[in-house]
Amino acid sequence: MKQRAFFVLAFTLSLILLFIGPLSAKEIKTLSQFPMSGPVGSLPEFGWGFIDGMNWVNNEGGGVNGKKIKWFLEDMRYSPKVEIANFNKYCAEHSPDEFLIATGYITGGLKPLIDKVNKEQKIPWLDGSYSAEIFGPDGGPIKYPYYYSLGATYGDQLKILLKWIKENYKGKGDPKVGLVYSPTAWGRDGLAEARAYAKKKGINIVAEIEYPYSATSATDECMQLRKAKAQYVIYHGYSGASGCTAIFFKTAKKILKRAQLMGTHYTTGRMPILVAQDAYDGYVGVATRPFCDAVPRAKTPMDNKMVKMAHDFAKKYRPEEYKKGLRGGGIKDMFLYMDGMTYAFLLQKALIEADNAGDLSREGVKKALDNLVWDFNGMFGGKTFSYKSHTIPMLQIFKAQVKLVDYKGKKVPMGAVVPITDWINVDEVKW
Amino acid sequence: MVDFIQALGSGILVGLVYALLGLSIVIIYRASEAFNFAIGEFLVIGSFLFYIFFFDLGLPLLIALPLGLVAAGLVGALVERLTIKPLLGRSPLSMTIITLGLGFFLRACVQLIFGSHSYSFFLELPDITQEYGDLLFLSDPIWAGMLSLCTFGLIIFLLFRTRWGLAIRATSENQAKAMAFGIDARFILLIVWAISAACIAIAGIMISNFGALSSMSAIVGLRAIPVVLIGGMDSIGGALIGGIIVGVCESLAGAYIEPLGLIGFKDVAPYLLLLIVLLIRPYGLFGEVRIERV
Repeated sequence: MKQRAFFVLAFTLSLILLFIGPLSAKEIKTLSQFPMSGPVGSLPEFGWGFIDGMNWVNNEGGGVNGKKIKWFLEDMRYSPKVEIANFNKYCAEHSPDEFLIATGYITGGLKPLIDKVNKEQKIPWLDGSYSAEIFGPDGGPIKYPYYYSLGATYGDQLKILLKWIKENYKGKGDPKVGLVYSPTAWGRDGLAEARAYAKKKGINIVAEIEYPYSATSATDECMQLRKAKAQYVIYHGYSGASGCTAIFFKTAKKILKRAQLMGTHYTTGRMPILVAQDAYDGYVGVATRPFCDAVPRAKTPMDNKMVKMAHDFAKKYRPEEYKKGLRGGGIKDMFLYMDGMTYAFLLQKALIEADNAGDLSREGVKKALDNLVWDFNGMFGGKTFSYKSHTIPMLQIFKAQVKLVDYKGKKVPMGAVVPITDWINVDEVKW
Repeated sequence: MVDFIQALGSGILVGLVYALLGLSIVIIYRASEAFNFAIGEFLVIGSFLFYIFFFDLGLPLLIALPLGLVAAGLVGALVERLTIKPLLGRSPLSMTIITLGLGFFLRACVQLIFGSHSYSFFLELPDITQEYGDLLFLSDPIWAGMLSLCTFGLIIFLLFRTRWGLAIRATSENQAKAMAFGIDARFILLIVWAISAACIAIAGIMISNFGALSSMSAIVGLRAIPVVLIGGMDSIGGALIGGIIVGVCESLAGAYIEPLGLIGFKDVAPYLLLLIVLLIRPYGLFGEVRIERV
């Protein structure tokens, strides 16, 4: 009888442990989405950086005060529809008490999700979008309280370039600036702010030219800029250096010999060095991240802690891809890999801060982000930023130094973009 | 006036490249009555094959170019053997539809092998830039126009001054009769696809030399559609005129209409023109009017 009672008790306890146990052990879940494949480009590096970053976070990095993060990664293939569908799926499958934070990468996904994220789910959402419409003066934390950007808006990027022009212009009269952008909502983003700022600072916008990604020639566009006598041309470019960017730079170098070519974040980096080559030399551009991948890669300056960490990670976890570089499934641009890592580190930081405050919930994570003051592992040369504006407001201006050198009987580009200013916190700039 | 001449000149130069693309469509159409919708993918593959010989292997241009074109021609021939030949004797519509699927397949192959990022493409041809006051014609478009025109001339010579050309023309007139005269129509079709692929590769190389090469360059192939529909699907001369018309139309729209605020009109203008031409001449400006018994 005693034996029977013992078995009944043991069985009941097992059942209780089986069903109640998992419910009481609340998990920390996150969803991240990157454009890793698709018709516009194949960028698995985002995912690799994020995977390596999250693995480090959960192991050597100590997780969230010892608790591991159950992270999910999805390839949204540059498609807002896929990004939205994935998010809806995870919202339906996971409890709001566990699914604490989500990340995305494109503006196209942010807009349709405004109500779902900010009113219905109320979940903090970190995004790669630099949209001035969402994160600029007409949007921001008051309008979209749960949206956070990982970089300064296109509006701020354009304004910083205009400010640099004004401060460095030595000619007579007002500086003449031409703007070149894509005929898309993204391409036009930030232009209204730039126009207003130019007017305020006495900068003459002499031409505004839309230049499509399907362009096979930039002669007409460059001739219009020449006719308008543009002294500075700001190219508000596309992700990476698609062919059209190279076509524009190559043509502009010949037609606009005296104009200073400039550009925003996605035109400032490694790919234009590789594709536009010496036509990119002398370019001045703004970027939200430190330059992290010179050509050749071995020449990359490693004085920035985050850049060094990204290279160390890639060498350790992706040695083949790191070596391969541009060809055959390698890491084409370390910026992509490093950006994947930045998401992992920011997720960990926000969750740890929320846990330390004793509120590991969506609201707790939001509060942690709102109050965050951080140097992002030394990414901005030791400078800290606050997330009050819901954007990481750090920018730096770079200048491209590219030359063609002989290598095994071939002319190959060699160079980098080097900083010509210190890191600028746009929240602190007196415009 | 300077602006007009500038736009006209630029339009003609790029139009000559479009004409070459149009020619490659026309010769296939004449031989098999099929429309090659995979033209964009052929353009990218041909350019990448040249890229391998010239940039990767570092061969001199005069060796790399013929090798690249031969390789592109072989790809064209292979594609014909695997996908078009089995459809011989069936409706030309089947072949046309096959080329649509072929386009998707080839695009995926290109992305798998070369990725979807851009490749630098500088041919370093002698600088023949022409500058007269405000008028400026850059070296690369001039080279592109000249090389396209030369290729066009070479193809016309082949078609109208050689026995091979005679066989191709005979096959395009009437396959059954040509075969009755001892012409191997199947082999002729193979040759036509190879020549067409080589022509597309030349156009692709010239266009890539404007800046870069990537799988996205395939979009240029779409320009061949208004070219051949305006000029006439079966007219070689029509392809030349159609190409120039499309190039000039694009350039003038870019110079005069887009600055008025109609952004993107440059890409649409050839299709609007195409609609007008088709309303007036449904077989294109130089296309043969067909009378079919029903």
